[in-house]
Amino acid sequence: MWIYEKKLQYPAKVGRANVQMAKYLITQYGGPDGELAASMRYLTQRYHMPTPQAKGILTDIGTEELAHLEIIATLVYKLMDRASLEEIKAAGLGAYYADHDRALYFVNGEGVPWTAAYIQSKGDPVADLHEDMAAEEKARATYEWLIDLSDDPDLNDTLKFLREREIVHFQRFGEALQIVQEYLDTKKYF
Amino acid sequence: MFTPNDQMRLARAYVPFQIFSKRLDPMEGLLKGTIFPELYFPYRGHKR
Ligand SMILES: [Fe+2]
Repeated sequence: MWIYEKKLQYPAKVGRANVQMAKYLITQYGGPDGELAASMRYLTQRYHMPTPQAKGILTDIGTEELAHLEIIATLVYKLMDRASLEEIKAAGLGAYYADHDRALYFVNGEGVPWTAAYIQSKGDPVADLHEDMAAEEKARATYEWLIDLSDDPDLNDTLKFLREREIVHFQRFGEALQIVQEYLDTKKYF
Repeated sequence: MFTPNDQMRLARAYVPFQIFSKRLDPMEGLLKGTIFPELYFPYRGHKR
């Protein structure tokens, strides 16, 4: 179970509304390397991890990704806030508007809806932890391209925080991988 | 180049364990995204 804290893990400030940036950023909401995919991937894979440490790391990081999902939602919402229809159309979000108004939906920057096919749950803990480490690197890279696309220092401050968290997550999954590999090795010999 | 030791085998990925040493104060850690200075690798922009 979870305990909800009615605050964000990190402040989600934007310097100004920017519909074009909202369109780019929404991929971290519902895109292939976004926070929903990360969270669902880890929270599902944890059940077949062979050691309590690996289960715990997947639970903790899967939970933190939900906190990041909330930060991204807040950022996209603020970037879209009070956008005029003209701005929405100019940013190429007219089709999005037809389906969702200004509401949040799980899509990538091209409007492709989220799918469970973005994630795997292989049942092999070594294979799955490698996917998780790759996912962290892909999320880190996505935050870097988003920072490149943005000229808003407030938005970039939050994106840099989220990017750094992916580096920490990679380290933790790497440690989990060592623990799991050593555990599987000892099982082979006894 | 990284030299493998006798604990390591081929066809396997290794990430070194973090050894607890220094810790930033909580506010600085929050701003940076980690309280561990050895895990802080800020983005300096892309070289293209
Ligand atoms: Fe992450």
